[in-house]
Amino acid sequence: MKVKPTSIIFRRFSQGLFLLIFIVLFLHTDYQGQDEISGAVNLLFRFDPLIALAASLAARTAIVLVLPAIFLLLSSFLLGRWFCGWACPMGTLLDCARPLLSRKAGVAPAALPKLRYILLVIILVGAFFGLPLVGFLDPFAILVRGLSMAVYPAFGMAVETFFNLTYNHGPAWLNHLTEPLYQVLRISVLPFDQKVFALSIPAAAMLISLFLLDLLHRRFFCRYVCPLGALLGLAARFAPWMIHNRKPSCTACGQCSDLCRMGAIDQQGQVNGERCILCMDCVTGCHARQFTFGRTHRNPVPVAEGLSRRAFIGTTAGGIALPFLFAVRPMKLYPEPRLIRPPGTLPEEQFLGRCVRCGECMQVCINNALHPALLEAGFEGLFTPRLIPRIGYCEYQCTLCGQVCPTGAIRRLSPSRKQEIAIGRAYLDRNRCLPYAKGVPCIVCEEHCPTPEKAIRFREVTTINEIGQEVRVKQPYVVESLCIGCGICENKCPLPGRSAILVTSEGESRRQPSIEGNGYTLKSPSWKTGTPTDKA
Amino acid sequence: MERRRFLHNVTYWSLSCFFVLHWPFPSLATSAQAQTPQAGKPLAKVGIGKDKDYRKLVRQVIALIGGMGAFVRPGARVVIKPNISFDRPPEMGATTHPLVVRTLAEMALEAGASQVRIFDRTCNEARRCYQNSGILPAIQGMDDRRVRCEYIDRRKFVTVPIPQGRVLKGWDIYRDALEADCYINVPVAKQHGLAGLSLGLKNNMGILGGNRGQLHRKLDQNLADLGTIIRPTLNVIDATRMLLRNGPQGGNLRDVQVNDTIIASSDTVAADACATMLFGRAPDEIGTTVAAADMGLGIMQLNRINRIELP
Repeated sequence: MKVKPTSIIFRRFSQGLFLLIFIVLFLHTDYQGQDEISGAVNLLFRFDPLIALAASLAARTAIVLVLPAIFLLLSSFLLGRWFCGWACPMGTLLDCARPLLSRKAGVAPAALPKLRYILLVIILVGAFFGLPLVGFLDPFAILVRGLSMAVYPAFGMAVETFFNLTYNHGPAWLNHLTEPLYQVLRISVLPFDQKVFALSIPAAAMLISLFLLDLLHRRFFCRYVCPLGALLGLAARFAPWMIHNRKPSCTACGQCSDLCRMGAIDQQGQVNGERCILCMDCVTGCHARQFTFGRTHRNPVPVAEGLSRRAFIGTTAGGIALPFLFAVRPMKLYPEPRLIRPPGTLPEEQFLGRCVRCGECMQVCINNALHPALLEAGFEGLFTPRLIPRIGYCEYQCTLCGQVCPTGAIRRLSPSRKQEIAIGRAYLDRNRCLPYAKGVPCIVCEEHCPTPEKAIRFREVTTINEIGQEVRVKQPYVVESLCIGCGICENKCPLPGRSAILVTSEGESRRQPSIEGNGYTLKSPSWKTGTPTDKA
Repeated sequence: MERRRFLHNVTYWSLSCFFVLHWPFPSLATSAQAQTPQAGKPLAKVGIGKDKDYRKLVRQVIALIGGMGAFVRPGARVVIKPNISFDRPPEMGATTHPLVVRTLAEMALEAGASQVRIFDRTCNEARRCYQNSGILPAIQGMDDRRVRCEYIDRRKFVTVPIPQGRVLKGWDIYRDALEADCYINVPVAKQHGLAGLSLGLKNNMGILGGNRGQLHRKLDQNLADLGTIIRPTLNVIDATRMLLRNGPQGGNLRDVQVNDTIIASSDTVAADACATMLFGRAPDEIGTTVAAADMGLGIMQLNRINRIELP
């Protein structure tokens, strides 16, 4: 077996280390016995300059949370796209999957290398003009979303199924072996509770498609699509330390060109700094030892592959125009009533701009309450978090989603502040609610209502039940001013199927009270109406 | 030939494995029933005490009714079932006080228990409830391998028939609770919208699987029916803090009355009846107690309860 050169070992070690950190952080994105989470996978996003730029453009402010991204951008000004080759967990996973996906590379259309710049411009311009696209193309967003919504729950399910089988059908001696193992797995890698997600298949499909693209070309996504790579590549134009070809003795044999996983070396052996990810394959692979890593004397980058002026202007115009197509929809006037956002969410417009659809809030949500939206928030709201109370409710004392949001689209709140914020409001369906519809006792909703002064109370009334008897039952009702819309009532309602008490986004704190007026007069300020409004 | 032989083998092995391995646990239901039948006793013994020092208090009150040795035999597997339903700190009175649970665990060990398990199927998220109720930290603080505060394992619910049930004919019940040699029921005394009060019989719901909300339709009788299957060896009602309003969750200290009282009895119904008095209510106001007494599960008439109070 061939011994790998040191530089390759270093690179692989670095890739492995960053992947390990990523996985540990990912598993750590969960309740850890304290109200404050000590470290979560949002760290990755806070180092992502693309997300930093897009979210800041959308918010039109510098978002302090994503300031670490500057370090990554600055390092690229010095070292080019080192991150893509040495750290990016998505890139590492693509490299790992290489043996499964190796195939003879085809010929790419000439315009393909421009694609990532087109996407980058559309993302950034679109972000500024109100069309949030970054979450659909950023590699971390695709990766974390795919993992948290599909891969991780499926992994948990598979392991649980196996141990269920051994527990329920295995003999005692087998359980003596498997049960301790199961307990160890439960503590270390398994999710505490089996979660389900509304859009697990699309999230998985997006992630898998990145791997399938590798069938066309090695690191296809990184080469042609990744807008983060494009951004780092732009910075790489200025990088003084690069891999370059010691010209004179090169025979232009073309071997390096085939070797390069990024297609960064042309047939003449010229290295394109905008694509090169410093993987060191050419440095160690060239028989003539033509390539070195070091300071380049800045010759004007000959193979830069940016957009032409025309293409740039055209793309920019597209980025400006697209948002307006999305703006002319009834959603702006009539928000979907079942779209319940997590507590601390910014007003809808700002939220959509800042949310990067990474799915971390859903990963961390302790009750599996947050799910990706399909079209409830419009096309651009795909994969944004929404609360589905029947599946899980918002835990009264929990503030984890706001703590892991990398861009502050969901604000970080203290528990006491969070408990004042209404995310919706419950109403009773008296046609289904047992004490009303059938004269049968129940009030499970009242029992679970978490507000110290109960937002669900009951009246004791005499009514006629289904078989005509006169009975005394306790009938629940909702006190609107106290209800915060946490959804535990809808979640715990013991009726099969649809709950008899339902939460809608009506009355949520983040909605501007003026919009809810009759359209002619501005409503009186919130302090007069007494509704708890929430200003950022 | 190869394929046929393969199929033969597969069928043979899977069938034989199925029959060999598939031994269900039909005897489970009876193991709990076998425990000390106590209905029909002329007099129920209930210990009541009041003290600021909860550790001392628990020990003294248990001593009044014969000491832990009367309930825990050496080598016994003990289950302590506190109320950990909600994500509330101990002072809110929604959950059993951690010191009470811990003291009971210590006493069980002193009486010779081989293992002590503590669990509850919570209403709020389990980890938050275990942590913030203070019960998990208190048990971990004991640092004893024999005592474990465990989360509910969904695989351990077994469907148990309730032959004596008047409305409830069967339900999923937690296996560890049924198989325990000594089951100590440690509810917290608090107000409850539907049941009136949540006491010993209501606390049994914490070892039930399935959609527990459905039991609320005939809650009193359902709880009484469950009482025929779940027969605690010992009941310790924690009335150190009593949630008087907005139960069973509470969340406001104004609704909590500090009472520093512990009630202990082997008779769940009698313990509940005595605890009801603390709220200034009569035992026959609580439907669950009435239904259980009617089933012969214990004694609720105060004149037939031997109340032993701490001096």
